[in-house]
Amino acid sequence: MYLRATEEVPITLVDFDLVNPFYTLRPIKDTLENLGLKVIAWGKNTFMGLGEASSLLRSDMLWALHRKGNIVFDVGYGTYGAEIFNLLEDNAEGRLNIFGVVNICKPLTSTVTGIVKYVKEFGKINGIINNSHWGDKTDITIINEGIIIVSEASKILGVPVISTTVEKKLAEKIGPADFMGNPVWPLTLYMGNAYW
Amino acid sequence: MSNKKPVEGEKRAFLTGNETVAWAALAGGADIMYGYPITPQNQVMHTWSRIIPPYNRKFLQTEDEISAGFANCAGALAGKKSFTATAGPGNALMQEPQSMAEAMRIPAVFIIQQRGGPSSGTVIYSQQELTLTTYGGNGEGWRIVYSVCNHQEIYDYTIKAFNTAWTYRFPTYVMGDGYQAELREALTIYDPEERGIKMVEPQPMVGMPGKPGVDRPPVHLVNIYSLEEELYDVCIKYQMEFDRISGEITESEGKNTENPDVLVIGHGVVFRSIHEAVKEMMKDGLNVGYFRPVTVRPMDVKALRNAVKNAKKVLVAESSLGQLERQIKAYCYGLTTPISGYFLPGMGIVATDIEREVKALLKK
Repeated sequence: MYLRATEEVPITLVDFDLVNPFYTLRPIKDTLENLGLKVIAWGKNTFMGLGEASSLLRSDMLWALHRKGNIVFDVGYGTYGAEIFNLLEDNAEGRLNIFGVVNICKPLTSTVTGIVKYVKEFGKINGIINNSHWGDKTDITIINEGIIIVSEASKILGVPVISTTVEKKLAEKIGPADFMGNPVWPLTLYMGNAYW
Repeated sequence: MSNKKPVEGEKRAFLTGNETVAWAALAGGADIMYGYPITPQNQVMHTWSRIIPPYNRKFLQTEDEISAGFANCAGALAGKKSFTATAGPGNALMQEPQSMAEAMRIPAVFIIQQRGGPSSGTVIYSQQELTLTTYGGNGEGWRIVYSVCNHQEIYDYTIKAFNTAWTYRFPTYVMGDGYQAELREALTIYDPEERGIKMVEPQPMVGMPGKPGVDRPPVHLVNIYSLEEELYDVCIKYQMEFDRISGEITESEGKNTENPDVLVIGHGVVFRSIHEAVKEMMKDGLNVGYFRPVTVRPMDVKALRNAVKNAKKVLVAESSLGQLERQIKAYCYGLTTPISGYFLPGMGIVATDIEREVKALLKK
């Protein structure tokens, strides 16, 4: 399940955040492309002038599902951001794997009840990713707390926990699976280079 | 209001700056937010309206920022802890109600997430609302403005802003920027009372019970002056009060300000880079220091002048074209320390930028 970009199965990252289209991954687009990802996003040299007078949809964003390989959409914050999937061309019901990403260090998803309420607002989802962390203050205790709380919520929701995502240095300490057997996906963080 | 506390004890949180404002306002006992959408503060409104239902707080989206600003004043006049959030042209439109808040001593709280200019539609980061936020409006700038540099401060100072406003009855601001608004960062959220912070109870300034002049003194809140002498008297009185409280409310921080070869001055998010750069250069044995105003209005003039006087050279770094530097020079009138600027309007400033500029100054 852990995505790796290859020539046969490329990964395309689509900057599809219309809630806040200006504070996005634009500043690190080149970095990500140099890592082998295909990135559909506005860049410094491809955009000028509209400010907040418009939303910035590109046709290659709308048709992204026609691309080869795996497509990852970065949508706006909160459950309302996910409503943008309505705009995608060829978004047949059930064609997308939609995973709810949950962090117990966000107040609205800090409890089992909170996660259940939050994830239900997405509508149909295929799984939950336990992304519990406290930024640069994350430790193993927080990650383990997240595993317990998210697993409990997944049982109530009837959807599986797909993985536990962990910053790569901490991931090395945990190993390939967390203590409940969920695969650990190590993360390399790049957004710090985008200032926000 | 519901008795249920929005935050029990201390809780770790990983939030955007905008979300942090909303949670802090909730924990700080804000009764109502009046708002009008504008990037990059929209998420304050979105988060506030989403989290308040269990706590019986209110939100009103008005027809524009002028209305949001005046409604914010009206809420405070009615004895409610009210606040609004805006940015850029929204801040410009709100200057009239902000001026009224100065004139009528209304304890309204304003959250400003700075963005770029000159422009009406530029939504990106900048630090170009310092002048507007501290001295905008047709008045003398009787405002209390906290310039925050990280999310813990956004939380702490948003709570503090309500207490400052209701204690001193001057409009009070928490000023961030587009980066801080959108950045996600680790912080601890808490119930202020459980930390021993006594929250000041709001009191209505209008609509009190009893007959004015009989059961209680009449309320005479003036926003319009017909006579020059009348305005003069009010200005002198308010200026004296503002000067008197300044000593109680100014906040700043400094490092190695005794005799640095270069003193770096900056506020808000740029201070993060200054802090990191100075720490690294001090490790390398360079004699550098920093001064950071937390209240950019009123400025901690005494500490600033001491720091500047002690330094051989001063570098002011900011994401604007000298808005802070102009104020620093005015406050330091008469001192002979050379002051230069590193200005990147609209652009972020990182620690390596500061180190490069300081080292260039050291060589001169």
